[in-house]
Amino acid sequence: MKAAAGTAPTFAAGLRRAFDGPHDIGRTRPGWVVMALVFLGFLAFPAFTSPFGATNVAYYLLNIPMAFGLSLLWGYGGVLSFGQVAFFAVAGYVYGIVAGNFPDAAWATWAGSAAGLAAAAALAAAFGYFMFYARVAAWIVPILTLVLALLLSTFLGLTAGAAWTVGQVALGGYNGMTSIPSLQIGGLVFQDYAFYYLVLGVVVVCFVGLRVWVNSHRGQVVMAIREDLLRTELLGYDVRLEQLRVFVLAAVLSGVSGLLYVQWGNYITPSVTSLQQAALPVIWVAVGGRNSLVAVAVATFLLNQLSYVLSSAGNQYALVIIGVLLVAVMLFAPEGIILRLARGWRGARRGQAGVP
Amino acid sequence: MADTISILYQFGTNAGFLLLSALGLIVILGMMNIINLAHGEFMMLGAYAASAAVQRGAPLPLAVLLAAAVVGVFGVVLERLVVRHFYGRELGALVVTWGISLIMSQGALLAFGPFMPPIAIPGGAVSVGVYSFSVYWLFLMVLCVLLLAGLGLLYRSTEFGLQARAAMQNPAMARALGIRVDRIYMATFGIGSALAGMSGALLAPTTSIAPFMGQQFVAPAFITVVVGGGASVIGGAIGSSGLLALVQTPVAFLLGSFWGSVALLVAALVVIRILPGGVSSLGRRMLPGWAR
Repeated sequence: MKAAAGTAPTFAAGLRRAFDGPHDIGRTRPGWVVMALVFLGFLAFPAFTSPFGATNVAYYLLNIPMAFGLSLLWGYGGVLSFGQVAFFAVAGYVYGIVAGNFPDAAWATWAGSAAGLAAAAALAAAFGYFMFYARVAAWIVPILTLVLALLLSTFLGLTAGAAWTVGQVALGGYNGMTSIPSLQIGGLVFQDYAFYYLVLGVVVVCFVGLRVWVNSHRGQVVMAIREDLLRTELLGYDVRLEQLRVFVLAAVLSGVSGLLYVQWGNYITPSVTSLQQAALPVIWVAVGGRNSLVAVAVATFLLNQLSYVLSSAGNQYALVIIGVLLVAVMLFAPEGIILRLARGWRGARRGQAGVP
Repeated sequence: MADTISILYQFGTNAGFLLLSALGLIVILGMMNIINLAHGEFMMLGAYAASAAVQRGAPLPLAVLLAAAVVGVFGVVLERLVVRHFYGRELGALVVTWGISLIMSQGALLAFGPFMPPIAIPGGAVSVGVYSFSVYWLFLMVLCVLLLAGLGLLYRSTEFGLQARAAMQNPAMARALGIRVDRIYMATFGIGSALAGMSGALLAPTTSIAPFMGQQFVAPAFITVVVGGGASVIGGAIGSSGLLALVQTPVAFLLGSFWGSVALLVAALVVIRILPGGVSSLGRRMLPGWAR
């Protein structure tokens, strides 16, 4: 009895520290209340909209895991990648190949998901090995990942014709791969409302998991490398392995977004890994605030909505607006707009409470 | 004999293309430790300026010089407005110049439409045996050598070069000795931009001139820079474009140009795994002083 009473607070404290550690905003009581309310709002949202509306909002949400991955790499790890879309595309294409070959089998959609994530992880591990084990200068990683994304896009564009058919799935060159099956379980096909809840669930699981991760020992080692690589190494950590690990984790998160994307639209084209697309995750993360998962999620959701509205209005200025936004943020709010707003709000509250 | 010349010519074109694509980038990286991601768009701007000049009756050499001047001035303005805020923050500089590149490519599309009038390749061809070679490309190869020699002279034998190298080695000490490091950085960014503009204009006759043409230079230029490293401008430029052309030429010949590009990327990964500082870090130890 005594022992149980003794461990319960420790367990609660441990749980609290795992979610509420110092490495993200939104760890005050009002912060959690706001996040819970937003989550409830998203849960209730389908009751107020059509399947079309729910599918649209699912699209704004599905890029959040990829943005989380870049936030881990760049904000928490100090390693910038411009090629996250390459892992997004690899996962999407591999899923399409596996699931598309067994169009009526529910298990194939799950096997395809696993294969897609494994392919993204394998590519990241192989590519990252050369960079991190060589201890290259910081500017080399973004450059080489960008080249990877561009070459992948070129390659996928060349895959037109019968020579590039895997089983019964054609890669399709510039026209891309079509009729990719949606995720299924039992008799349930994840479409419309079901797909919306699938995306929402994945995003929440990623958020909670990563929130624990950044406050865990592993996450703190990655942040220590960002602050001082040499000192971390002298403390006995293999910085090459730690960096490679976070690079692979980020690639898997991109892969999650890639899977959701092909399950959302049932098609994928080489343009998902073009130069323009490669810029987008960087913009979401920079505008939100790369040091905060919450800020990155908010910015990704809002900016996806913005660019959807811009592009569906046929606006030619979309890229210019996004470029201007990126330059302005880097010049005037390098820590990110959402993060700055959140900190400003916290500062204002403290001011009111009379805390210096 | 003719076969050998043909292979040498292929090698020379590839090395020349890599060198011209990367030269401006290498100068800026080596001196300032800044990567300009809008480099491809600077080359696009140079090609646009040259095309506009040729349209108005200017001869190509004048058009090329004009392009260098236009892009050089553009670079200086951009350095003053944006880039100088990112000295010492290399990742920030990468991101902000990427934003600039998006604005420039889409802006060129909006301002000038999807195509610019092409520039005809001057010079015709010479034949050796069954092969014929473009005189213009032979000229570009010679020009590459001259450009490197000119840069070498600038950084080795002038007051500016001495100050620039001092600023590169130790900015704080250079400042303490009365060198205006800020001015040096501005001039270096201007020179790098002018070189990018000139390269864009020189390569314009060999390609189609369009708003997104800069993208085709991204992979070769950045791989050349990665392989070259920042330790030495000229040594890195020669070493890496030569080495990469050596890898690319046979692969592109046997399998096509896409696999040539893949070979470039693989070669870059292998080189950095062995020499993380690029081939110029090797040059530091092994090359004679003039090449450093």
